[in-house]
Amino acid sequence: MTQIAIAQLYPAELGVTGDRGNVRAIEARLAAAGIDSATTRVGIGEDLPEDLDILVIGNGPLSAMRGVHADLTARGDRIRAFVADGGVLLAVGGSAELLSRGVTTLDGETIAGLGVFDATVARTRQRKVGYITIDTAIGPVIGFEDHASEWTLDDNAHGYGRVTFGQGSFALPGGEQPVRGELVRVGNAIASNAQGPLLPLNPDLVRELISCAVARRGSEPDLTIGVDALDAYAAGARAAIAELVHGKGFNTIQL
Amino acid sequence: MMSTAPQARSAGLRYVFPVLAGKLARVATRLRGGGSAFPGYLTNRLAPSLLPTLAGQFPYGVVFVLGSNGKTTTTHMISEVLRAHGLTVFTNPTGANLPQGVTSALLADATLTGRIRADVAVLEVDEGYAADLADKLSPAVILSLNVQVDQLYRFYETERVADMMLEASKRAQAHVVVNRDDPYLSKIDVDAMRAPVSFFGVATEIVAASAHGLANAADTRSGNAGIQERDAYSEVRSVAGRDIAVQVGDADVAVRLPARGLHYAADAAAALAVASRTLGDRFSADAASRGFDRMAPAYGRGEVIPLRREPDGEQVEFVMFKNAPSLQMNLDALDGAPERSLIAIDEGTPDVSWLYDVDFDALKSVDVVTGEKAYQLALALEHAGVRIGAVEPDMEKAVAMMRAFEPTAAGRQTWFVNYELMMIGRRILGHGDQEVARR
Repeated sequence: MTQIAIAQLYPAELGVTGDRGNVRAIEARLAAAGIDSATTRVGIGEDLPEDLDILVIGNGPLSAMRGVHADLTARGDRIRAFVADGGVLLAVGGSAELLSRGVTTLDGETIAGLGVFDATVARTRQRKVGYITIDTAIGPVIGFEDHASEWTLDDNAHGYGRVTFGQGSFALPGGEQPVRGELVRVGNAIASNAQGPLLPLNPDLVRELISCAVARRGSEPDLTIGVDALDAYAAGARAAIAELVHGKGFNTIQL
Repeated sequence: MMSTAPQARSAGLRYVFPVLAGKLARVATRLRGGGSAFPGYLTNRLAPSLLPTLAGQFPYGVVFVLGSNGKTTTTHMISEVLRAHGLTVFTNPTGANLPQGVTSALLADATLTGRIRADVAVLEVDEGYAADLADKLSPAVILSLNVQVDQLYRFYETERVADMMLEASKRAQAHVVVNRDDPYLSKIDVDAMRAPVSFFGVATEIVAASAHGLANAADTRSGNAGIQERDAYSEVRSVAGRDIAVQVGDADVAVRLPARGLHYAADAAAALAVASRTLGDRFSADAASRGFDRMAPAYGRGEVIPLRREPDGEQVEFVMFKNAPSLQMNLDALDGAPERSLIAIDEGTPDVSWLYDVDFDALKSVDVVTGEKAYQLALALEHAGVRIGAVEPDMEKAVAMMRAFEPTAAGRQTWFVNYELMMIGRRILGHGDQEVARR
């Protein structure tokens, strides 16, 4: 098994919500499985690693999104090809918006996106803040949402999760009751507005991403060894959040 | 500076009913044990002109203290320095920094005819309400401490917080004081201000030697992420533990800080700039030093309380944090890893994603992790490679565990706590006063 190459893009500009935690969760669990990894922090004008396995991008304000926009646009072909080839990508918050087809701000301005995800994003006056729980193909995902954006998916099949508590990023077709969705997945690329950070809180999700990355290298590691503490603390955190949101009539934060 | 103080507006009998109603409401809410905002709300409704009238009576005017971190400590510092110069200071109780809280505090000190007897008011004010409150209170001085990544769930984007402070600063009548080492604040448009701008800061080489600088937010919008160079009117020139030297204008002031940390040094430079500008020729370096000497630490900011109710026994040092920058600055200020430590966070801090932005290298290990979010905190510490003794979400039980440990050699434990658990922790240790005026 060769080394897994991880990159965190724009850690200074898009990294204000503990986004380094998503990288650490991947690193810690790769290390526990005995898989060597190397992480590169890539800023504006710097090169992504040649043989990239996992790309993580985080969240930041609109001004930071504008600040990285030209640099990101110049990387469009590379990133689209990476995702088309089954590369693993996690984009949260502002970066997820920049990987959509475009973001419309409250002023009516549209910032063009890379189109990795077939969706458009509109910034909204109303902000969605609070814990969120999501049912997905790999089980319940938990996080903290804190954003003012509404996604519209071109293909509902790209919606990866159904919201069971919280507000979510997009609408899903439902029956009588409106159904909300969170997490968009195309290939092995995932976009979300769920923070926490997302990966430390969700061992099954980080195992899924690592499995996909390692499978591309033709390997199938055991991701259950050496992670007792990580899994126990994550389970404790998830249980506490679940009790809060489902047990005691906890509502989203009132501002 | 006397000449720049706003003219006193007339107090009088017309305020008797509104003030009385507010005072009675205050007694009632206190007996009930509830919050202190309602009396202020009631009085503001009954007599909208009372607030400007009260504010207009301070001969040295009103000082606003704004900032992402350090408002309470700096308000405390300014108050003590001014008191050491013989001034009678009115100030709002710790944390009562929203408009209704400020009104309630003024109300408590006002006579029935709407008179208040103090030379100056020093008020910590929430950034979100600063401009509105400035329109009512016409502050002489507005101090902006820093813009740091804080409460994103409330402020959305850090630059908005900067704009709130800069917008409020336009309303200062006599002086604007801002942080020269803050990327957003250093770029203040001096010409847009009504009052002259004074800068405070920490000498460049001292900031450079600090592991994480001053933890102020990078400027993501102007194209220059760093600061714009400015000459500091008040500058920290040397730091040795709690002892620092600050040059204020032509004066050199020796300061003993209430607690270790470069953030406290910056706060002291800010406080001295405000005091010097407020007092003018009356400012004395010796009096300023005395002011710091008699300053007790604010709640939970380096405050020391007995662990087992024995005054001479083992002590707990409270280190309060509310976001990544304040926790980082406190960790950077540690004098070696604590012998015995507790760390606590609860739902009073809604989103804790930022825990992963903190470097915990200074900590090595934590004995007990507690609070409603104990497991989220433990998860972040585990990812950061910090050794964890035990996770116990119940603060009462966690305190019992801390009391059961063998005494430390230094006779001191260190508890890192968010605001809510600082209050709860103090109460469990027998220091219950939740709302005490800053005296």
